[in-house]
Amino acid sequence: MSLSRRDFLKVSGVTGGALVAASRLLRLETLTAAGAESLQVEEKYIPTTCWIGKQDCGMLARVVNGRVVKLEGHPANPRNNGTLCPKGVGQIMSFYDPNRVKTPLIRTNAKGVPGEWRKASWDEALSLVAKKMNAAREKGGSKFVWQKGRSKAKKFYDKAFVAASGAFKLHHGAFCSDAGYRALEYTLGLHAVLHPDFKYTRYLLCWGWNVTNAGGNKFCWLTWPQKLVEAKERGMKMVAIDPRQRSAAHFADEWVPIKPGTDLALALALCNQLIANDTIDREYLTKYTNAPFLVGPDGLFLRAEPEGEEEAGAPLVWDTVSGAAVPYTAEGIQPALEGEYTVGGQRVKTAFELFKAHVAEYTPEMAAEVCGIEAAQIERMAREIGENAMIGSTITLDGHTMPYRPVGIMAYHMAQQELGFQAVRAMVMVMMLIGSIGAVGGQFSDFTWKEYKNWAKFEHLKVQDETNLYLKDSKFFPINSNNSSVVAHVINNLSEYGLDDEVVPDVVILHHVNPLGSFPDRNENFEAYKKIGFVAAIDPWISRTADYFADVILPAATIEKYEGPISASDFYTDAETLRIPPMDPLFDSKGDIDIYIDLCEAAGILYGEDGYIAQINKQLKLEGEYALPLDQKPEVRDIFDRYARSKGLEGGIEFFEKNGVNIKGPASVSKVYPYAMEEPFAGILPHRFYGESLLVAQNDMKAAGADEIYWRDYTPFPTWRELTAAQSPAEYDLNLISYHMIEFKQSRTPVPLLIEMAPKVFVEINPATARAKGIADGDEVWVESHNAITGETRKIKAVARYREGIRPDTVAMPHHYGEYVKHPWVKGQGPSPNELFFTGEGYVAQTADQTYLVRVKVTKA
Amino acid sequence: MAVQTQKLPYGIGRISGGWLLALLVALVFTVFGGYAYAQQLIYGEVVTGMRDIGTMAGAPWGLYIAFVVYFEGVSFAGIAVAALIRLLDLDHLKPIARMAQVMTVIALILGGLGVIADVGKPGRAFINLLKYARPGSPFFGTLTIAILGFLFGALVYLYLDGRRDAALLAKVPGKFQGFYRWWAAGYQDTPEARERHERASFWLALAIIPLLVVAHSTLGFVFGLQVGRPGWFGTLQAPGFLAMAGVSGLGHLIVLAAILRKVYGLEEQIDIAVFRWLSNLLLIFTAVYVYFMVVEWLTSVYSANTAEAQLLNALLRGEYAWIFWLSVVSLLIPLVLLIGQFATGKYRIGWLVFSGVLVNVAAIGKRFLVVVPSQTHGSLMPYVIGSYSPTWVEIGVVLGLMGLGALLFMLFAKVFPIMEVEEV
Amino acid sequence: MARYGMVIDLDKCTGCRACMVACKVENNTPQGHFWMYVFRFEEGEYPNTRTWFMPRPCMHCDNAPCVKVCPVGARYKRLDGLTATDFDRCIGCRYCEVACPYGVNYFNWKKPEGNYYLDWDDPDLAEIVGDEKVVYANPDLDKAYGPEKRRIAGGGQAKGVMEKCTFCVHRLEKGLQPACAAICPTQAIKFGDLDDPESEVSQLLREKPHFRLLEEAGTSPRVFYIGQHAPNPSVRQIEEITVKV
Repeated sequence: MSLSRRDFLKVSGVTGGALVAASRLLRLETLTAAGAESLQVEEKYIPTTCWIGKQDCGMLARVVNGRVVKLEGHPANPRNNGTLCPKGVGQIMSFYDPNRVKTPLIRTNAKGVPGEWRKASWDEALSLVAKKMNAAREKGGSKFVWQKGRSKAKKFYDKAFVAASGAFKLHHGAFCSDAGYRALEYTLGLHAVLHPDFKYTRYLLCWGWNVTNAGGNKFCWLTWPQKLVEAKERGMKMVAIDPRQRSAAHFADEWVPIKPGTDLALALALCNQLIANDTIDREYLTKYTNAPFLVGPDGLFLRAEPEGEEEAGAPLVWDTVSGAAVPYTAEGIQPALEGEYTVGGQRVKTAFELFKAHVAEYTPEMAAEVCGIEAAQIERMAREIGENAMIGSTITLDGHTMPYRPVGIMAYHMAQQELGFQAVRAMVMVMMLIGSIGAVGGQFSDFTWKEYKNWAKFEHLKVQDETNLYLKDSKFFPINSNNSSVVAHVINNLSEYGLDDEVVPDVVILHHVNPLGSFPDRNENFEAYKKIGFVAAIDPWISRTADYFADVILPAATIEKYEGPISASDFYTDAETLRIPPMDPLFDSKGDIDIYIDLCEAAGILYGEDGYIAQINKQLKLEGEYALPLDQKPEVRDIFDRYARSKGLEGGIEFFEKNGVNIKGPASVSKVYPYAMEEPFAGILPHRFYGESLLVAQNDMKAAGADEIYWRDYTPFPTWRELTAAQSPAEYDLNLISYHMIEFKQSRTPVPLLIEMAPKVFVEINPATARAKGIADGDEVWVESHNAITGETRKIKAVARYREGIRPDTVAMPHHYGEYVKHPWVKGQGPSPNELFFTGEGYVAQTADQTYLVRVKVTKA
Repeated sequence: MAVQTQKLPYGIGRISGGWLLALLVALVFTVFGGYAYAQQLIYGEVVTGMRDIGTMAGAPWGLYIAFVVYFEGVSFAGIAVAALIRLLDLDHLKPIARMAQVMTVIALILGGLGVIADVGKPGRAFINLLKYARPGSPFFGTLTIAILGFLFGALVYLYLDGRRDAALLAKVPGKFQGFYRWWAAGYQDTPEARERHERASFWLALAIIPLLVVAHSTLGFVFGLQVGRPGWFGTLQAPGFLAMAGVSGLGHLIVLAAILRKVYGLEEQIDIAVFRWLSNLLLIFTAVYVYFMVVEWLTSVYSANTAEAQLLNALLRGEYAWIFWLSVVSLLIPLVLLIGQFATGKYRIGWLVFSGVLVNVAAIGKRFLVVVPSQTHGSLMPYVIGSYSPTWVEIGVVLGLMGLGALLFMLFAKVFPIMEVEEV
Repeated sequence: MARYGMVIDLDKCTGCRACMVACKVENNTPQGHFWMYVFRFEEGEYPNTRTWFMPRPCMHCDNAPCVKVCPVGARYKRLDGLTATDFDRCIGCRYCEVACPYGVNYFNWKKPEGNYYLDWDDPDLAEIVGDEKVVYANPDLDKAYGPEKRRIAGGGQAKGVMEKCTFCVHRLEKGLQPACAAICPTQAIKFGDLDDPESEVSQLLREKPHFRLLEEAGTSPRVFYIGQHAPNPSVRQIEEITVKV
């Protein structure tokens, strides 16, 4: 005690020494307080993974006396390297949120209005859902619908349920970036959007609003900025192409404030300039794409005589060696990339020659006009892309000598626009021209070069009369991203799509998905849900959809459950992890897998050869000794124990419970780079530079009597046209776009710690625009949207905020406000832009993907 | 007024209906203040309009601190006048010396209570401010010297100065006789004792003047030493505080003297000469303060940096403009009136009371403007502009303090002569 | 003895505000208190606009105005460079707060209990929460720290006292980084011994140009910034937080 007092006097830097000396006697109280540290504290760290967001970062839960007190980043997880984003660290509050659904709930009032509920036992709730579900299953088709938001792990138990129950599955991707996925699947055969080879890229085009705000393709937010910062430190130049500057902030060396939805024109102008500057990689185009294919006057490839009756013959190229048209697969040929040739008496051009003619009109001046930017900026970008591409250069990694084209694109949610599919295709074509696809430092998308099932499917697009609830393979959307708002639109207008009541679902299970909250257009969804007989929601909170329409809510656990397996790869290091419960499920909630096991048991589809257990074995490839017995209700921990053992991990599940993450080591060069693969590009060739099957589909759609609005964008090359939204009357003078804030992106949870930082929705508006309309910073405004097709208008009230970093002709609103209506922190957050957007014709892409652009007028409220 | 055998002077011990009514009013205010303060004790200072600087965009100091400064300023003039009377032998002013001293003591008590009302841990503050006192903090000057030290000095002065009266009153039988005997503490009105008494109070008065300057300068230092708050940092703060203290205190004294004159019918004792002297002194202080104000204003208007300019804008044109201009007008009108009376040599008590009230309005306004805008509009960091408006609790506590002051004054006046009693 | 300081690389900061949340959870600060705050800035006019971010912890000034004005020595400097607040001694006069030009002080205007976002008195949580004021209560915060053995860690300690960033003094004693530095996804926040020339922070300051906030105020902050520039009157806050309690 006396020692500590001396130190105290020394340390505290006393100013009134004399008085302190007089106060010695009174020091006691502080020392007594300080002495009270003898309480026993049991403390441990349990590895687990994040449950908010997309990439499931590794976490360590600090648990004191059985209570989780903090979530920290798992230092060994390559995705986050010991760090977390605000959602990751803030979600601790969602564990214990007393506003969670604590027990199964059964609705006691009418649907279509905020719900009233009574508590029910799991048995009662599950048997009710099972009964309804089984009745709908018997009718087949889309009578029993299952929909989930993003799966927070490998989707094995979802797929197993769909397979076991025969559910009609709806997706969420058409609200995310699926238009881009479809473009990549179509063009390169990969299931992803666009990101660069961060380790080596020197010049990055950041296209859209995800850069510093909400992550990108494949990664959620955290890995992305880590790689970005590393690359910037290395000296990478970054150009941000977005109507808002906020998204890229100071990381952008240059900001291209493009007009929303005009990206396609900019990409084609870049192609125009790359060709004009002759900075194109002829070798890549000739060798790995269909650009040298000869195209007849009908727009179709010239083909060799078919060998069988079923098969079309191989497309022809002009061989400069033999001076003849030969199948592109022929040995020892040197195909001409450019030129016009006479084959079989008709003049034909190479696809590339057609492309040159196609982009000739996309001059920098033309694109500048369309995109609302400077022509000089486009020219400079094209020049810098060409220079940085270092066409012809190679690099040797791990003994593999490969092309070195350190230019890439990052694009993600920007794909969701009216011309999304073709815009992303046009962007990929920029990268194809410089040969950056799969080159070191160049354009990547998925973790590895792996053929996605749509690659083959898109060779022959089905345009058939028989269709389903989401208009699959129809004359409306031959490429189809399964948009559940289109589903709602179809339910509300069955006859227009040649459908009848038969397709309207009787039963819908909503798992962690909130169509009324998260998806535009809210009205359309609301009307459709009125027609659905029975809705069960699996969610830890009462979502807007559940509140208005759920008959039963099954309380799901948040982090506190076993889930997985989860990839922990950061593209360069392979790793895998699991979600380990740091504590038992709170209240009367259950882990999602437990819920499905119980539900399947209640529905009688758990056991047996086609049962849920069998499907789990199949999905997780649990075979032989690792297979779950088909006649025994499994423990979820045991499922993962078997999985871990089947992967050769000593100790099974205990390996993950102890270490959290299984680091498999650096991804090999031959896995990452398609040029280093045994078969370049894993044999997914030739890349579809020319979209022949799109033209075929267009012809088929016309023949089937589809309106122009459906087929007009099915063109072999991306083609600019005026956007539907631009046809709204002139008084709707502003473009409304939306975005996610890092605080909320994919949070699916109302976390007060995060809501406190961004409590209310707002409308970003350029001060010059606002002042002209007499709107001051912080004023309440009406935002009224207009549907250029139907003439419908909608309006909401929100607060206007001045931003110099937004185009004067554009306003922007963030999402994720007001979704979990029953939560005290969600009340009063204000409206969602989803109330202003429209779905249906003109407001979905040719792939049925949702757009987030509408014309609005903003007036002072 | 000679001491009579039956009655004590100046209505001591006699309770009139008017006095009772006034007391009741004061009591109501005091109790209301107590109720308001109880709210604050129970729920914390969240019941006030104060909030943190920065992300809360508030002002952590508000009405309480403004009134602490105001009360201390009022106290200044009281004791200063009393001391000057003694030092300069201004015999014709002697009638107001006692009331000036009492005003000082009461204002200091209110200032101290204002501090207690302001702090988050009032109980702890009593102990820790002494136990862990840090002379390096300007608060040490404000709390320890200005309030406690000064209160001690003022009480001693009041006590010594009152001994003679107490001795005289102790001769009269009555219920307070014991109290007067205690106060007189053996003082006999002999020439030697009187001379000793005169000498002691002279030296005490002499000592009090520099103490006063120091104390009120440190009050200015509370703000003037803070480089981080635009509008506060400056050498003019200390003398400005002193000048404003004189203005508000003299104004108060004039009003007080006029009231007592009326209530006790003291037209003879407190004659126009007293008011002339007070008026001229107030004129000097007001002129000096206005000069300081103009100098400060010109300096910042002419060459304000961005932060100062933002603050100035809020004062001159923004949300504080009404208080600012009200204060300026409330200073200028009395200044004109005082100059007019000085020039014509005709002094009207009515105008003087009016001036006294106005300068106090100005004083409260200016104290508020010193304390608050520099917090809400004076951030050197790019936080959003803050705001502050007092809640009913703060207003209640301040009204309660004022009620308490009136209450104490009225009670004092019923137990001790509010003016020096004439020789028997 | 180590003398700690912080170096924040504004060129790396993405403005995600993870540090703010990490601080709040680690230190159990009540609603509305942001010991760490991240400014989001915009400057210039369209299209010559710039957007950037600036975390603002307590500057732990060597010549701290708050320490100088504290009338009871509750706010004091430690030999390791930390500017600490003894919440057992603080009388709640808030002089430190008005003296601080950085706006980093947070006063407990309310009773901390009941000021933690949600109703933790929920009967279903009783077993887990016990009598803690918040469910994620950190057991390290009630202890006394440093050779002076004073209670200076954590927030929401009592109604009517002042609190602010402690550089996570309770973590430092365990050899851990402050919560904000540990969580930062891009490692923009670096913390270490400024007296050790080999420490990462010292090396960074040697290698890169840096500034401190309001250096002209003579406060000698122990927080240094790399990249961007000191905020000037032309920067505007966007997505600002103005939570009142």
